[in-house]
Amino acid sequence: MNEPHQGEFRITSENDIVMARKVVRDAATTLGFGITDVTRIVTAASELTRNIYHYAKSGVMHWRSLNQDASVGLELTFEDSGPGIADVEKAMEMGFSTGKGLGMGLPGAKRLMDELVIESTVGKGTTVVVRKWLKK
Amino acid sequence: MKKATNTPSKSPATVLGSEESFRLLVEGLKDYAIIMLDPTGHVASWNAGAARFKGYRAEEIIGKHFSCFYPTEAVQQGLPEQELKAAAKEGGFENEGWRVRKDGKRFWANVIISALRDKDGSLRGFSKVTRDLTERKQAEEQIQQQSKEIMELSTPVMQVWQGVVVAPLIGSLDSQRTQQFMERLLNRIVETNSPVALVDIMGVPTVDTQTAQHLIETISAVRLLGAQVVLTGVRPAIAQTLVHLGIDLTGIMTRSSLSAGLQVALDILNLKVVRKDDSR
Amino acid sequence: MALESISVIKLRDLLLVTVPPDPDDETISALQERVLQAMALYEARGLVLDISTVQTLDSFFARTVAETVQMVALMGGRTVLAGMCASVAVTATQLGLTVGNALTALDVDRALDLLNAAPSGARRV
Repeated sequence: MNEPHQGEFRITSENDIVMARKVVRDAATTLGFGITDVTRIVTAASELTRNIYHYAKSGVMHWRSLNQDASVGLELTFEDSGPGIADVEKAMEMGFSTGKGLGMGLPGAKRLMDELVIESTVGKGTTVVVRKWLKK
Repeated sequence: MKKATNTPSKSPATVLGSEESFRLLVEGLKDYAIIMLDPTGHVASWNAGAARFKGYRAEEIIGKHFSCFYPTEAVQQGLPEQELKAAAKEGGFENEGWRVRKDGKRFWANVIISALRDKDGSLRGFSKVTRDLTERKQAEEQIQQQSKEIMELSTPVMQVWQGVVVAPLIGSLDSQRTQQFMERLLNRIVETNSPVALVDIMGVPTVDTQTAQHLIETISAVRLLGAQVVLTGVRPAIAQTLVHLGIDLTGIMTRSSLSAGLQVALDILNLKVVRKDDSR
Repeated sequence: MALESISVIKLRDLLLVTVPPDPDDETISALQERVLQAMALYEARGLVLDISTVQTLDSFFARTVAETVQMVALMGGRTVLAGMCASVAVTATQLGLTVGNALTALDVDRALDLLNAAPSGARRV
């Protein structure tokens, strides 16, 4: 089975949120994550994809499998050229909301995944990278 | 340990310190693969240990690039080049990882790559010392597997009646154990369709804020399923600690003993235990 | 298209909605619409949301459900979430999601029992 261990998915419509979930579900399941971890990863992806759609209108999600020594993992990258986040620290606090009730995305994703790295510049865009490792 | 005796004619230092005997030492060492790479990573020298671990004879490997010792996914990710770069930059680089023998079999290696420079600092090549730690790795994995099994054994979830599961917790609750316990408890509740779960903490030695948080999290998750938790086995010491820590357990049913908890479960399920009549 | 995929069934004076496995945002919003319409039409006193096939419960879904529960309550009804699966419960808890004042039940049968029990005997979890 020589499936590519990476892929890309463009986010341009609200419907793409559920499509992104399907793509991520397939990737995570293929890599061997258990059902609870798959649910965590898919939920995190749903939050971050929705953030892209609502704040930036469009963006892209990259995914790839990770291989470090004997550990296997999944990495998702969410990139957009949207308004960017002025105060990243505040955005990472639980419950912080910009009014549309969308405050759970970043802190939620952070809780569900093993690693979360975020880079954002006001006026230029945001990139969020999340990773989860298969527990042996 | 025998003291080295001084031979009058030649001092031991001279005999053992010569380059020739050093070369013999390195070449003959069977437990360590010691090889040299040129600045681009091609194999320049080979020793008995390398032949033993990696399965190649000197003639067939000298001149080849050292990335052939790495598994394909590592090569795809550019790992061999990264390690050389790191060694050149820092002077040395140590790592553990899977390597591949000539016959395709994998072994777990501890690798130290050192950059070799001459007096003016230009890079002459690299030395690579490899140890085969496969046995140690297998032992580690076995211990991990056994720990996992022990953890599972120590947090069983048992159905004691239709609609009631009991989960006695023994020992302390760290994050990982709570996670596993939570998943197992929830799955059993769904499997057995049990609206009541008795979580007994008689065997939990101390409760700190973190443990209490983990318990509260577990109880919230059970509620989402449509079941409820009765926390049983709350000893006097635990009751005191919980109040002193200001932990709010309102809304959570608690009892001091498992049997009292069972009574609550029966009430919830509208069940009653009745003595069999002698005359029947 | 989304409105068609949500069917609201009337069971005497209760409503039953079976939520599809991976509903998109439009469907979730449509669910709220349909439920409130049915509440008005049938003057139902309770709603059972069957989520036994739902695989992902993210913050948007949870928020919409919580809102729906409040709206149904304002219209005189109680809501029961039935059949959440274990992995979704673990994830939702880790995410800190709540479902407002919704009751929960292990399955639809128990949900109906819960709503049919006399108000004083009803158990709030």
